[in-house]
Amino acid sequence: MSDTLTLDSTLIAAVLATLLPFASFVLIMVFTRNHRRLSAGLSIGAITVSLISAVFLLVCHWHLQTPLQYFGRWVVSGDIVIPYGFLLDPVSLLMLTVVAAISFLVQGYSLGYMADDKGFSRYYAFMSLFAWAMLNLTIAPTLFQLYIFWELVGLSSYLLIGFWYEKFSASQAGKKAFVMTRLGDVAFFLGLLLALVHLGNLNILELNSPRVAAQMSPTLITVSALLIFGGIIGKSAQFPLMTWLPDAMEGPTPVSALLHSATMVAAGVFLFCRLFPFFSQSAVAMGVFLAIGTITMLLSSTMAMVSRDIKQVWAYSTISQLGFMIMGLAAGSFFAGMFHLTTHAGFKALLFLCAGVFIHALGTNDIFEISRLGGRRLKVPTVCMAIAAAALAGLPPFSGFFSKEVILAALAELDNPIWLVAGLLGAFLTAYYTFRLIFILVVPDQSEPRQPDDSHGHAGYWQMGGPLIVLATVTVLLGFFQGPLENFFGNHICSVSAHTGSHGWLPYIAIATAASGLILAWVEFGRRNSARVGFVERIGWLYNLFSERWYMDRFYRRFVDVVIYRIISGLCTQNDNRVIDAGLDALSKDAVQSGRFVSELHLSMIQYRLLAIFVVVALLALYFFF
Amino acid sequence: MIVPFGHVLILAGLLFLMGVFCTVTRRSLIMMLLGIEIMLNAAAILLVGSTLHWQNLEGQVIVLFVFAVAAAEVSVGLALIVWAYRRTGSVDPGDYNLLK
Amino acid sequence: MEFTGFPYLTAILISCIVGLVVIILIPGQRQVQIKWVSAVFSGITLLLSIYLFFAYDKSRGGLQFVETYRWVKTPGITYFNAADGFNLPMLLLTGIVFFTGVLTMWELDKRVKEFFAFYFLLVTGVFGLFMSMDLFFIFVWYDVSLFPMYLLIAVWGTTRKQYAAMKLTLYLLAGSALVLPAIVFLYAKSGLNTFDITVLMQPGTFTAAEQKFAFILLYIGFGILAAVWPFHTWSPVGHVAAPNGVSMLHAGVLMKIGAFGILRVGIFLCPQGWQYWAQLMAVLAVIGIVYGAFVGLSQTDLKYVIGYSSVSHMGIVGLGLATVSVDGLNGAVFQMFAHGVMTALLFSAVGYIYDRTHTKVIAELGGLSHVMPVASAFFIIAALASMGIPCLATFWGELMVFIAAFKTYPLGGVLAVCALVISALFMLRVVQHTFYGPRKEQYAQLADVPFDLGLPRIILLVVLVVFGLYPSLMFDMIETASIPFINGLP
Repeated sequence: MSDTLTLDSTLIAAVLATLLPFASFVLIMVFTRNHRRLSAGLSIGAITVSLISAVFLLVCHWHLQTPLQYFGRWVVSGDIVIPYGFLLDPVSLLMLTVVAAISFLVQGYSLGYMADDKGFSRYYAFMSLFAWAMLNLTIAPTLFQLYIFWELVGLSSYLLIGFWYEKFSASQAGKKAFVMTRLGDVAFFLGLLLALVHLGNLNILELNSPRVAAQMSPTLITVSALLIFGGIIGKSAQFPLMTWLPDAMEGPTPVSALLHSATMVAAGVFLFCRLFPFFSQSAVAMGVFLAIGTITMLLSSTMAMVSRDIKQVWAYSTISQLGFMIMGLAAGSFFAGMFHLTTHAGFKALLFLCAGVFIHALGTNDIFEISRLGGRRLKVPTVCMAIAAAALAGLPPFSGFFSKEVILAALAELDNPIWLVAGLLGAFLTAYYTFRLIFILVVPDQSEPRQPDDSHGHAGYWQMGGPLIVLATVTVLLGFFQGPLENFFGNHICSVSAHTGSHGWLPYIAIATAASGLILAWVEFGRRNSARVGFVERIGWLYNLFSERWYMDRFYRRFVDVVIYRIISGLCTQNDNRVIDAGLDALSKDAVQSGRFVSELHLSMIQYRLLAIFVVVALLALYFFF
Repeated sequence: MIVPFGHVLILAGLLFLMGVFCTVTRRSLIMMLLGIEIMLNAAAILLVGSTLHWQNLEGQVIVLFVFAVAAAEVSVGLALIVWAYRRTGSVDPGDYNLLK
Repeated sequence: MEFTGFPYLTAILISCIVGLVVIILIPGQRQVQIKWVSAVFSGITLLLSIYLFFAYDKSRGGLQFVETYRWVKTPGITYFNAADGFNLPMLLLTGIVFFTGVLTMWELDKRVKEFFAFYFLLVTGVFGLFMSMDLFFIFVWYDVSLFPMYLLIAVWGTTRKQYAAMKLTLYLLAGSALVLPAIVFLYAKSGLNTFDITVLMQPGTFTAAEQKFAFILLYIGFGILAAVWPFHTWSPVGHVAAPNGVSMLHAGVLMKIGAFGILRVGIFLCPQGWQYWAQLMAVLAVIGIVYGAFVGLSQTDLKYVIGYSSVSHMGIVGLGLATVSVDGLNGAVFQMFAHGVMTALLFSAVGYIYDRTHTKVIAELGGLSHVMPVASAFFIIAALASMGIPCLATFWGELMVFIAAFKTYPLGGVLAVCALVISALFMLRVVQHTFYGPRKEQYAQLADVPFDLGLPRIILLVVLVVFGLYPSLMFDMIETASIPFINGLP
């Protein structure tokens, strides 16, 4: 009796968590576009219920042994069955809570940040759309459902990046983000089809079961894993499709915090976790993933070292941390990826939200400008940002330290030490660029005259401050929950690779690396009378290389302009106009011309034709009579 | 019958050929109409001759009809030619080249 | 006369014809009256088609609402209407597009009476074709729907309208010139002295060689109407030139006639010919998908872009038909329906914008979201549907077709899926340059779409979303026809 009751309450909670934001999206779009407070209320109300349901689910199923699945009939066509349903296991429960929590905090924060915007209601509608899609993505029991909401998440990302559509750069960035992720999604979709054709369905649990090896050859598994990883590359902005994410910072800052750092871009990593057992069946694919994660992490760290735009720095850092998670997962540690995903969601959202307060108060993205205008006098965001930065850099006792250490431990397990070295190098660069920004921001610049201002009084400061404090608390405390979380996942199938050897020396190395990055940053930017010029900026070509994003963007731009637009599209259009159309026009003109020709035969020759008639009649007569 | 039937045939044939010649060669709509009339008359002569030859009156009745039709045709035809002349200022069939 | 129950199908035709007669009888100056009459009679057809769609007994399947009347006995011509899982979606589509098309043309003020009269005539032909099960009537209705199209474009059109109307008519007549011999050939070869499709489709009626010959004629003949590459160039030109209500019918319904003709006549009567030519169909369809997307990328006129996206989408329908599978047929018919609604919404939205700004050139537009957010939203949502965003109806048709294609023609499936990126690129490009960007001075005074004028767009949007969220509504219907048909194949 009690058993069925719990099941029912679970189902109701899952339905509430996933469907309410959609209802609020529809209501806002259709009815309350002109009622700002009502729209915000609807959206925040919906996400609050989702959050409560998600927490309820997490608490109820903390000791979950076997994953729960619910299916409802959605689409049936021939032998293709696409159910709508829920899959509750540690991965989805944790992700559901993370997504709901950060959505809730960001929506609360946006009350202050977006207060003066004329698209206030639209903003909340899109936020609800995103929450709906993302929550359904996390809880999807089949890859079909996951793919569907994956696309919708991409759509909401497009809409939110281009939210200020009067700015050309914003709409351009939205388009770029959509098309680049679409490119990855096409690979993802093909991978899905490949798996579908050989397995008959795309249930995630069945995909993860060892039975798959019996139905698909190793080559096929590798190919479909690589194709599905294409989707991850697109969504999580991995090499070579990484350049859309920095541009996506054109969107409002809370959007960057929610979508483009904490949750949506993490969906790629989440998918990796989801299909972890499936992916681990192919060693080749895992090797490729590891390489891509490493390249991404290092490349984007270098880009972050030279950027002056506060949001860009955090965007590059997001890419690099996502690469880091992929490395951990590809190194074989499921828990490492998931744990870093969780902690990263907390501190990266915090970093963006802090940046948002500076931008909102001071009206600039440039870190030197923020420093000059006295950004450090905004106490709450400065302190919170420092905490989050310490977590990002991997300093104890903040959450990032613990999760990074797990990833590094996983890398240390690998035979080839180069991955560990790369990981440590990444950690060093991360600490360097993080504290470069913090020192620029915090340490007053003596060369500039101080300008008096009191930005404390501006509207919405405390509305924005609340979420910051909550997230900062989480960042400080989350690291100590490593044990329980590991237990939580330990119950689950995902204990594919347990920690075997202990690397007692690893935490010290990690701390030392992070500390050396911090010290380098302090020497260059924090010291009294420091020149405030990084070592990269002293090397011209290196600086250009990094700040031009390794010329990737230029390459893509030229590729699209020349190959897609000019050559292929141009050729097709020419073919349409000059060959097919012109050919048919010529054909019809020829028909008209031949008509002319025949009509000229008939011209002013009435008597000849009469003669012809007579001759023919006479000949016929001769023929018949003689 | 005084005139042998063979002579009638020859006369009618010659008349008809002259009509054809007139219609085909003359560069005037009026002369073409005349040629057509001559051909009609050749046929009428043949009809009359054959009536006498076979002692059968039906042919003469047809000739009366032909006269009536020919009269109507000439009047309509001439009217058309006059109208065409007013429109184009020419009765040369070669000048009627609206198809061009 | 044999009717099983009330003749709903004939009632649809009759309401079209009565509407036509009433419009002709009303004096031309009473424009408002004519529009109301059109709306009422098209509304009746819409209600009837909705009723049919839901009254159809899916558990029983097969032909329902059958109406037969032996019209001319000697050659075996029967007035034979029936509904099954293939044509009910099409009837519903026609009803929706017809009604919303009439509402979209509400602001017309030039020769209103003649316009709606021809509009009704056109739709009568379309309805008749979709519901008929007799080859002779299919051909007659086909020609009935072709003739008013010429006048509708040539008189009420815009860009190069004479050229477009003439081109369209010639193309479609060329198609009809291929269809007619094929029909006569099949009629003669069967030796059964009947045009009844249900009789002719019995296995063994035609030899394989006869089927191959007839099918290719029917495929090209109807394929011209379905804008199969390389016979597609009439359709963008026609879309652009036609007035918006006509573009809606043209892209939404008329192109579906072609695909439906391939299905109902070609595939039903010549299944072996179908299997024989399937690879050719797949190749042409894939070329159409990719090619349409690339050409759409470099268009400068809003309606040309939609026109080429239609070419691309009809390629998806063709690919579905070429797979010879249940999923392929399901996907193709669903895509026909979804694309019809989606493209009608696109043209309807463009119609409002064009009536206000008097330009369709993308470079001259821009920033329209500031002045007409709702009108822009209609277009943007339809554009998203065109890109295959989930939860909008087109996604499901594409999904099923791609799955089926991937099973049968892996390479073609891959290429077609890759074209999704291009179609996303060109639709987003249009959206960006038309609706985003700074506010433009010359459009600052324009009003947003009011509720009454927005009504047709709302209807189309709701249909798009309803079938996007719950596609089983449609798939269950199509399956009643497609599964028995595929299982019955030799």
